[in-house]
Amino acid sequence: MRIVNPTFGVAAAGGDKVALKPINWATDAIALMSNSKPNARELLDGIRAKLGATRAVDNIDFHYKNSASQPAPKDLIEKVAANYRGALLAIAD
Amino acid sequence: MKDIAEQEVIDIGDMDVEAFNEFAAEQGWSDGMPLYVPTEEKVAKFVERVRGDNRPFPPVPPRQVVPTLQSLAANAVMAGCKPEYFPVVTAAMRGVLDPDYNLHGTLATTHSCAPMVMISGPARMELGVNCGSNCFGQGWRANATIGRALGLMLLNVAGAKPGEMDRSTQGNPAKFTFCFGENEEENPWTPYHVQRGFAPTDSVVTVMSGEGPHNLNDHGSTTGDGLLTTFAGGMANPGANTIYGKGPMFVIIGPEHAATLKRDGYTIESIREELWKRSRVHISRVSKENLETYTTTGHKPDGDWLTIGRDPSDIHITVAGGPGKHSAFVPSFGGTTVACVRIAT
Repeated sequence: MRIVNPTFGVAAAGGDKVALKPINWATDAIALMSNSKPNARELLDGIRAKLGATRAVDNIDFHYKNSASQPAPKDLIEKVAANYRGALLAIAD
Repeated sequence: MKDIAEQEVIDIGDMDVEAFNEFAAEQGWSDGMPLYVPTEEKVAKFVERVRGDNRPFPPVPPRQVVPTLQSLAANAVMAGCKPEYFPVVTAAMRGVLDPDYNLHGTLATTHSCAPMVMISGPARMELGVNCGSNCFGQGWRANATIGRALGLMLLNVAGAKPGEMDRSTQGNPAKFTFCFGENEEENPWTPYHVQRGFAPTDSVVTVMSGEGPHNLNDHGSTTGDGLLTTFAGGMANPGANTIYGKGPMFVIIGPEHAATLKRDGYTIESIREELWKRSRVHISRVSKENLETYTTTGHKPDGDWLTIGRDPSDIHITVAGGPGKHSAFVPSFGGTTVACVRIAT
């Protein structure tokens, strides 16, 4: 018996590859990205404090989406990409 | 040999229905209830129904694959649809793919939201969609299977597998199916699709990522003013996404309640205005921690009150159901929209 696969789909065209540059986690600027749920900031606060034990944290900054339920806006993503070498995302509920 | 996921047509050998259901469950294709077998012949009958609608589908998030009409139809067959339902199912799929519907967010969230599917216009009668008594419930093949087909597409094409990409904490029975028709015949105002700019003769599918219907029982009020007090009390819910998620919500008024409101001079616009004013949540009903979060994330109370939705236009009004003194409130995920799509004929 031949059936049609209910999961079948064609891979979307495009899918640009991003060239990753090396990051030095000991010195480079890092964005701490919150998904805007209440506990995400708490988690990121803890990460920043722990990083502070081994490196300077004056170039580790917090950023958050306007809404937990919406994707990050393009201008925020571009801002983070332009100003930081790494980003840590918290999706803590 | 290609992996099963890469093959549009699969030869599964000789299998009876029970064996197919075991096979489908192993593949992760099932919502837990028995499935029809999506044979090539059955799928072809469904696809034939939408041959005039050649608009391509965009990639479906979160899996980001472009479905074919055949793969969508396979889900409609498995759900138990009749071929004539398929244009409604594809319209519903196009609705959830509206970028403002936020399909990725609504599928991946821990919230319980599921797609609410409402059918308006002549297709309701042509397909036997229940718009009257028990319209949210069991007993009608069109309601049961159109909503189910969309759920299976989101599972199989979008990839919203429970516990994996679908991260809902508790889920919601509406994830099996939540499909009903507007009761236009007993709507004393304008049918919903006409409110949205469609012609009365158009058949339209409306989708919103919502919770299940919350009952609004009012046997005692004999005035429109009294009914709106009850409705607003049911809507003022500190545990819904309406305060910080904002976004749309539906009030689906039962015909008897609608007749009382109409008699007392209420219009769709005045009902929205009144409900928005009266459904505010007093800060005494909100925890200190939540109030602090709302205040620091742009949802500061207006005096001692928090509003639900952004403004009255977030409250969408329609009429459905049969005799009885009940209406329903359907809050949404919040970061979503109410999408309407004309059914291709």
